[in-house]
Amino acid sequence: MTARVLVIGEIRDGHLLASSLEAVGAARACAGPSDRLEGLLVGPAAAAASPAFAAAGLASVACVADAALERPTPWAWSRAIVAAATAAGAELVILAGTAAGRDVAGRVAARWEAAAVTGVTAIGRAPGGRLRLSRPVFGGRATQEVEVAAPRAVLAVRPHAFPAPAPTASAAPATELPGGTGPEGDGRILGFEHVEGGAGPDLGDAAVVVSGGRGVRAADNFSLIEELARSLGAAVGASRAVTDAGWRPVSYQVGQTGKSVTPQLYVAVGISGAIQHLVGMVSSRVIVAINSDAQAPIFRVADYGIVGDLFAIVPALTREVRRVRGIA
Amino acid sequence: MEIVVCIKPVPDAETRLRANPAGTALDGEGVKWALAGYDESAVEQALLLKEANPGSRVRAVSFGPAPRTEEVLRAALALGADGATFLEHPAEVVPDPLLAARAVAAHLGRATWDLVLVGKQAGDDEAGLFGGALAELVDAPSFGGVMALTYDASARRFTFRRSVEGGAEAAEVPGRAVLALQQAWNDPRTAKLPNILKSRRATIDKVAWATTAGALGPLGTPTTQSVGFRLPAPRSGAKMIDYRTPEEAAEKLVRLLQEEAKVFP
Amino acid sequence: MVDFSLTEEQTSLQEMARKFARSEMLPRAAECDKNSRFPEEVYRKAWELGLMNLNVPSDFGGSGLSLLDQVLIVEELARACAGMTTSILANCLALEPILIGASPEQKQRLLAPFCASFHLASFCLTEPAGGSDAGALTTRARRDGDAYVLDGEKCFITNAPHASLYTVFATVDPALRHRGITAFVVPRSAEGLSTGKDEDKMGHRASATSTVRFEGVRVPVDDRLGAEGDGFSIAMRTLDQTRTPIGAIALGIAQAALGYAGEYALQRHTFGKPIAEHQAIQLKIADMAQAVHASRLLVWHAAWLIDHGRKGTLESSIAKCFASDAAMRVADEAIQIFGGYGYMRDYPVEKLLRDAKLTQIYEGSNEIQRIVIAREQLKGAA
Repeated sequence: MTARVLVIGEIRDGHLLASSLEAVGAARACAGPSDRLEGLLVGPAAAAASPAFAAAGLASVACVADAALERPTPWAWSRAIVAAATAAGAELVILAGTAAGRDVAGRVAARWEAAAVTGVTAIGRAPGGRLRLSRPVFGGRATQEVEVAAPRAVLAVRPHAFPAPAPTASAAPATELPGGTGPEGDGRILGFEHVEGGAGPDLGDAAVVVSGGRGVRAADNFSLIEELARSLGAAVGASRAVTDAGWRPVSYQVGQTGKSVTPQLYVAVGISGAIQHLVGMVSSRVIVAINSDAQAPIFRVADYGIVGDLFAIVPALTREVRRVRGIA
Repeated sequence: MEIVVCIKPVPDAETRLRANPAGTALDGEGVKWALAGYDESAVEQALLLKEANPGSRVRAVSFGPAPRTEEVLRAALALGADGATFLEHPAEVVPDPLLAARAVAAHLGRATWDLVLVGKQAGDDEAGLFGGALAELVDAPSFGGVMALTYDASARRFTFRRSVEGGAEAAEVPGRAVLALQQAWNDPRTAKLPNILKSRRATIDKVAWATTAGALGPLGTPTTQSVGFRLPAPRSGAKMIDYRTPEEAAEKLVRLLQEEAKVFP
Repeated sequence: MVDFSLTEEQTSLQEMARKFARSEMLPRAAECDKNSRFPEEVYRKAWELGLMNLNVPSDFGGSGLSLLDQVLIVEELARACAGMTTSILANCLALEPILIGASPEQKQRLLAPFCASFHLASFCLTEPAGGSDAGALTTRARRDGDAYVLDGEKCFITNAPHASLYTVFATVDPALRHRGITAFVVPRSAEGLSTGKDEDKMGHRASATSTVRFEGVRVPVDDRLGAEGDGFSIAMRTLDQTRTPIGAIALGIAQAALGYAGEYALQRHTFGKPIAEHQAIQLKIADMAQAVHASRLLVWHAAWLIDHGRKGTLESSIAKCFASDAAMRVADEAIQIFGGYGYMRDYPVEKLLRDAKLTQIYEGSNEIQRIVIAREQLKGAA
């Protein structure tokens, strides 16, 4: 039996997001050989972005070239998605779990009368054929397995969890779907205006986090941590010692009483690794610890450790990262 | 302005996580439930709007099992909500955020309101589905990751910022909207002691599950099922990097991250 | 029937106090300790949330909590910082004589301002020449027309540099011993009242402590609490009420020490395993846990008795004495478990020992408590 999967691509500033290609990777991970994978792109850049999207392994890409969908509202986007899913006769809609993707998933599920699972990191089938999904819960402190008990499902996959497929030479057709599903639907959305934050990624969503602890010794020295984070494009975190001392605001705190993070790479600088901190970051994929005390508990949860003076190591590491990443 | 704030109890941040005997979900035994995280920010936002717009009322709504669901409603009352509605559900764990959205939508259908506030996601299942699903079901616009929300009463319009990857967007939406709030952008207040005492004696409107189930019909069935709950395996210890100079340590680490761990950005 | 379960209401009060302690007190505790800073912003916030004046009935705008409710809150606050807790609780101590001895008119006049806005009050009993021997105090109150004239000096007075009202115990005639002691309320603005320098203390450094001098201070008869000679009884009944919360402060310190020690023992490795797996450490943790649990039961029991109309002199003395001795032992062992780190000011446990020491001394030294305990105990034996 052929199942149909609709993968939703997300376009920002005219470019298809890498996480949308990962969504295709996720679709391919659960699709059988006879299943048909289709894509949906909306907005004025849809047609231009469709070849790259299709090259990830889609049989066709539907485009809704409605200018009003350049930065679609959840309301408008959900209508476009459900219309496309219905047109394609899909059983499964997969989208990237970006801020916008997570925002729209619930709407699509309710409108399409489908099940919905977000934060998906692995996709499989249970013995009875039901979709079975893994997803981190409790800030990454545990993993939940969920089975879908409905004929249709919407999945939002966690960024970085699935590899983006290598591009293939694709002759997948780009089909045009009609617009008219935009915000004029009831005219309640009045407009957008982009205000670039520029302060680095959000601690909770970042792929890389660099955190400083008591070993940083003073508020002023925290700039060392921030420079390393900037070189890596990372979010900045801190241990409770730092926020208790008032070196950085509480919003930086990673740990039991702060935020839980699960980045691909977590760099702990001058953090001894109190349990209260560990529970907030131990589920990171790769952990690097830099500490002067070889006995510090952080080294037991870390993958790579450097014992040494952070005031010497961190600037050297920042220079090396900048060199390798070609940052002036 | 009539503001509805939807909240739910989540395990306290210090809960030691453990799977239930069947291994399908969190073991609820001994868990301390609390109004926490995003929901706390949502209640705070509702109260700030109420204070800025005299004559407004805030009603807290929660769907779930007794007694913990009633307890978070009392917490919202102690913080300053004017009323509370408890939509009862018999299961120990609410099985599905979509079911919660359907239950609340069925209830809200009969009420007049201008704004529904929810937390962007809950601190336990982190689904983030509830707000969008609810909005769809009551045919209202929705946004997630909302911060710095204000209301222009003359234009009947909400303006806010919205957290997205790498920054924030400014947005606005007319009344009768569902907004899911980012955590910790506001500094949630602490309930005053006399208000805690008062909230113990307040009346909470209760809707029995049978009533909700009757309204939902076949849509009252969960669409997903939690079948596993695993804790991460402990790690075995770090590969320590030998070096003579800080530069050498940096080079070796970057190379390992690129070639072995493959996480170098 | 014995029932140790807390009501939902009590649990919410406890949680609220815990949250306040963690978010407002704990982050400032080390800094205030180091700099001996009086964090007025914390006390103002405590007032705003209704965590001050816990014993003032709701008729006057206070929280009107039972003693058991109070000790639940006090333990949570003291886990974060005993010094701040002492300053937050000082109003309960200073206002209790008004609750006990004042006329309805006086209560309305004196208590309402404390519930309407942030004010501190100080309880002035102890004198340089004697603390626990309250019958021998020397501050004089001489009647002069429709007023009394107060002369003398009080010492170790909590919050005195910041207080707007003082409850003062003075004697109308030293020859009468405790039968001459009379209670007064004196506003900060009274001419002739002055406070000394803020004392540089071993612990409780976030609390302010100073002498209070009375030099020809005129106090209207309207500001006398009860009749002449009622003062001793008012003071003793006050201390019967406030002794148990002091036990709760000690309990909070001990609970904090146990918590830090347990967390550290699981984290710190020696000889290839967490030190918590060494029996030497396990025995310490076991003893500390016993001390904390026993203290809590004694504190709760004393509070419960008093809430049920018993005097509770014996039980509250036992609770205060036991819990404060226990806090010293538990804090001491916590430092031992932390080893060298425990001796360092960067770690939170040495402060607990310094804070615990005061609980053996103030509001009736443990020697006095033992005299009381023995006297009460022997009454039954006679």
